[in-house]
Amino acid sequence: MIHLHAVTLIYPNGTRALDAVDLAIEKGSFVFLVGDSGTGKSSLLRLLYHEQKPTKGEVIVDGAHIERLKRRRVPALRRSLGVVFQDFKLLPDMTVWENVAFALQVTGAPSRDVMRQVPRALELVSLSHKSRAFPNELSGGEQQRTAIARAIVNNPKLLLCDEPTGNLDPATTHEIVELLDRINRKGTTVIVATHNATVVDRMRRRVIRLENGRIISDEPRGLYTHPRPEHVEANP
Amino acid sequence: MDWGNICFFWAEVWRSFTRNLGMQVTAIGTVALMIIMLGSFLFAREALMQVGDRIVQKFEISAFLTDNSDAKTEEAIRVKLSHDARIRHVTFISKDQGLKDLQRRLAGQIDIALLTENPLPDAFRVQVVNPDRLDEVASDLKALPGVASVEYAQDVVRRTLQLLDVIARIGIGLMALMVATAAIVISNTIRLTVFARRREIAIMRLVGASSAYVRGPFIVEGMLDGIVGAALALGLLALAEHFLIPRMTAALPFIPVDVRSIHSVHIALELLGIGIAVGMVASWHSVGRYLRT
Repeated sequence: MIHLHAVTLIYPNGTRALDAVDLAIEKGSFVFLVGDSGTGKSSLLRLLYHEQKPTKGEVIVDGAHIERLKRRRVPALRRSLGVVFQDFKLLPDMTVWENVAFALQVTGAPSRDVMRQVPRALELVSLSHKSRAFPNELSGGEQQRTAIARAIVNNPKLLLCDEPTGNLDPATTHEIVELLDRINRKGTTVIVATHNATVVDRMRRRVIRLENGRIISDEPRGLYTHPRPEHVEANP
Repeated sequence: MDWGNICFFWAEVWRSFTRNLGMQVTAIGTVALMIIMLGSFLFAREALMQVGDRIVQKFEISAFLTDNSDAKTEEAIRVKLSHDARIRHVTFISKDQGLKDLQRRLAGQIDIALLTENPLPDAFRVQVVNPDRLDEVASDLKALPGVASVEYAQDVVRRTLQLLDVIARIGIGLMALMVATAAIVISNTIRLTVFARRREIAIMRLVGASSAYVRGPFIVEGMLDGIVGAALALGLLALAEHFLIPRMTAALPFIPVDVRSIHSVHIALELLGIGIAVGMVASWHSVGRYLRT
């Protein structure tokens, strides 16, 4: 699904966000990206939806070379994946229903598809009863569920989440992670960049750890903390 | 494109248009002002050109015939001149007619009766269609058999033509300045609405809306600024034409302008077109800045 070959990303101010990163992520997998702030998690995600081009190296998503993508091909890529952020990025003057429908409407989807897919997405995130509410009438968890509904409304193969639970309390965080897990079980590849140790440790999925723009560990059923023997023993 | 898409599109346009109503009024006002100035200027220019044309058309060529010319030569010249497409009007002035004209012009100054014989030759007075070709027609006339000499106000014609040309050029320059001003104000307005909606644009791009799709509502918004502004201005200009011009022509009867011959509808359509085009180009430009990654 995703291949990175020797990817280096240097921002114009000289910051080396990613340094010769090699990575492969299979279709249908659930991956955590962990590491301290500023270690390149968000930069890596941005490469995948072409918000950022790598300085060097190859980024391949679903067979397409993202680093060589022409500008007019970017919309097609973006339609094949969903992105969720820490700050939800909902439009405050639109209802839940409108926010979710927006993603389809602005890509020129026929009304028939909008009428069919929006209720389905809201159903999946259990927000059907709030479809007429505005974002400021919702809790943080509900807002993030709305954002997730918007990200998955066109059935993307890939869901990218940048700190999706950064603004949420532990109970709500749990709820959101459950939801992401449910989406993953339906076949969508999910990549979550997170700081939340509890979430990572409970899920026991693949954990890729970044430090200073490099991958320093990659475990199939990892924990949040760096795998030193005492930590592995401490968790059953 | 189905009905839902169309409704959504116009809802977006409306949302964008009303987001910054104050600025929208400014933009519309600027377009209206631009069009009013442009319209009055075009009108004034047209009127001036008419006056100029009339002055220039009064310049005629006098072709004096040789003393011994007979009726046959005269007739030959008359036929030739009346078939020349460059010539608008030919009059034959006989020796006697010429003397009478001269007597009338000099009445009270010199007593023509003192002349023992008529010194004037027979002549043709020729008015040309296009004053630019006065020189050419004059030299052709001179070459005709039976024509002794030609006379016309060569320098005056040339200078008048030059003056009209300069006026036309200055006019084009002024119009370009006005169009540029309106374009700058509209593009600033659109930039503000684009700025107010930058979150929305960011999300559109995130979920895969094409650049053309993101631009669409803003372009239409710019066009609306242009259309509303131009329509407003044209309304005011029509009122002015209806109420002011008749009074003006009544007050200044010596200005030989035929107002009815100025094609107001044609000018109006051109102005409307300019308004719309300025709005479109201005918004295309200002959204482009937010579409670049």
